[in-house]
Amino acid sequence: MMNDMRLTERVVDATKIKISAKDVQVYYGASHAIKDVNIEILDKTVTAFIGPSGCGKSTFLRCLNRMNDTIPICRVEGKILLDSEDIYDRKVDPVQLRARVGMVFQKPNPFPKSIYDNVSYGPKIHGLTRNKAELDAVVESSLRKAALWNEVKDRLDAPGTGLSGGQQQRLCIARAVATSPEVLLMDEPCSALDPIATAQVEELIDELRTNFSVVIVTHSMQQAARVSQKTAFFHLGNLVEYGDTAQIFTKPSDPRTESYITGRIG
Amino acid sequence: MTAPSTNIPVPAADFRPSLYKTDSRTKRRNAAETRFRAYGIAAVAFGVLALVVLLTSVLSQGLSAFRQTTMVMQVELDPAVLDKTGNRDPAELGKVTTITYGRLLDDALNKELAGKGLIPEGMSARDVSAMISKEAPAQLRKIVLADPSKIGSTISFDAWTGGRIDGFFKGRVTMESAQLDSNVTPEQLQLAQAMRDAGLITMPFNWAFITGPDASEVRPEAAGLGVAILGSAYMMLIVLALALPIGVAASIYLEEFASKNWFTDLIEVNIANLAAVPSIVFGILGLAVFINFAGMPQSSPLVGGLVLTLMTLPTIIISTRAALKAVPPSIKDAALGVGASKTQTIFHHVLPLAMPGILTGTIIGLAQALGETAPLLLIGMVAFVRDYPGAPPEGFLDPASALPVQVYNFTQRADPAFVERASGAIIVLLVFLLAMNILAVILRRKFERRW
Repeated sequence: MMNDMRLTERVVDATKIKISAKDVQVYYGASHAIKDVNIEILDKTVTAFIGPSGCGKSTFLRCLNRMNDTIPICRVEGKILLDSEDIYDRKVDPVQLRARVGMVFQKPNPFPKSIYDNVSYGPKIHGLTRNKAELDAVVESSLRKAALWNEVKDRLDAPGTGLSGGQQQRLCIARAVATSPEVLLMDEPCSALDPIATAQVEELIDELRTNFSVVIVTHSMQQAARVSQKTAFFHLGNLVEYGDTAQIFTKPSDPRTESYITGRIG
Repeated sequence: MTAPSTNIPVPAADFRPSLYKTDSRTKRRNAAETRFRAYGIAAVAFGVLALVVLLTSVLSQGLSAFRQTTMVMQVELDPAVLDKTGNRDPAELGKVTTITYGRLLDDALNKELAGKGLIPEGMSARDVSAMISKEAPAQLRKIVLADPSKIGSTISFDAWTGGRIDGFFKGRVTMESAQLDSNVTPEQLQLAQAMRDAGLITMPFNWAFITGPDASEVRPEAAGLGVAILGSAYMMLIVLALALPIGVAASIYLEEFASKNWFTDLIEVNIANLAAVPSIVFGILGLAVFINFAGMPQSSPLVGGLVLTLMTLPTIIISTRAALKAVPPSIKDAALGVGASKTQTIFHHVLPLAMPGILTGTIIGLAQALGETAPLLLIGMVAFVRDYPGAPPEGFLDPASALPVQVYNFTQRADPAFVERASGAIIVLLVFLLAMNILAVILRRKFERRW
């Protein structure tokens, strides 16, 4: 089943490390959700986090742009370096960080505003453009990157919530890339989409790799195999195994990984 | 294929009851459902009936307050009577009392009667002049003092009739009741009927009821709601200007910024309790704090507005927090995810989505405050106020009345004509409340967005 996915053709051509996590611990109140995670996420690469429900992969993803800060009982220890700067340093303002580490959520969540306003919101609040023409250009290029431009170019004033589910998710991706982030975090971006929309988004993820480092959490092992170059397997809060996608799916070194990808656990 | 062996007894096909027959258990369940529906319909019917009875009673008693029996007469403003010096000196003119003006009106009425050939049989001159409202000379005097150049000319003047004559045309006073009434005689009523037939008495729309000030116990025909409406409007302005920003700011802080600890829990419990505190307690508080301690003037819309603000705040805070809570967290995540700060997230996304709920809560709070009587009684707004408060902001310190207090005032008075005035005032109050609720619905529709 894994043979037809051309896993062997995947070459990790980038070697620059974008994010490096060291001994990360996450606690929700008394419960220890993430234990001793060490990982190095590469630039211009799609990295997939897989694992059974509740294994901590989403929690760890949300640490990477400090979205966990919004949960009062959540506590993060250890170091997460973005280009060798610790994002949990006291001097770091999460607002600036999130402009550089964008996020796409599980459920499409466009603002109840026009398509244009959805995409232009990020550049506007960060002051990335000087005038309307520049903003228009950013909106267009973002929508093009999200493969949505041709479908919506005639109705940019229409509400974003009026689009179909797949279009909404691509609008959310356009919104995330509009601030030209360096890393794009995706938390199960296709779980609310039908197979056709999923295929479109997956194709898009592969294209986004040329500009960004993409980290994707997914429940579907096929999806991880299809879109990623690197895969990390989480189990019970531990990072069990991390390596090239081809290696993880064909020659897993840990018996737990093998059990999971063959369907015996999870 | 063999049937799986099992210990559960399965009834044989022959003993299964037909689907066409309803078994007793289903019948009982259906009966319970029917009963419950009947209870619901009865409850709704009771509510509707109560509303219909209330509205019918108020409307049937109060609608007549919007018409006023009026005599149309030509009044000759004789300079020999009104301005003996002839130099139109305002100080001199001011010395002429309403008694003099009353005589002018008597003459004018007699002239009108003679012109139509109506002879007041068996009535003294006093009886005839008593048909004119005691308020009419004062109004004529006011017209003359406002424009002394009218002296010497003949003006058309609409004089109100007395309260009993007014009541006669509204069905409140009859010939039989007039015989027992020392304030009116059957002859006066007969003459009034003849005047009505001759076109001397008309019943135009009573603007003075809405714009005019309150009047004394013996002049129910002159009692109006002008001061009360203005006072209520001033108070609503103060409540809106204070309660909305304070309430929304407090809600946003409590809902989005405050950390959850025993202190915020305590605040939360207290806000919920404040919403249930009897309104008269707020009145005592206003009396003690604003009037006795801070030395603000009694009966003023400022104090009334402050007290009503305190009363309205819990309502606004509770509904605003509910509206903020109802905004889906995914929208907040989306905004935070593109790097909006907490304040930007709240003001750009959460607040606009919560707006319909906030506005509805605010308007309901305002409507509550508009109908509130008890606390206003304690801060002196129950006083008899005939002078309009000035223009804001100074007017906020002038004595004023309020609509619900005016209703209470009217009901305290002996003359039966005030029953009609009280019901009329209730109608005005209800119209304002209805208008506010319609506004709430319109605003909700306008701001409502789906996500």
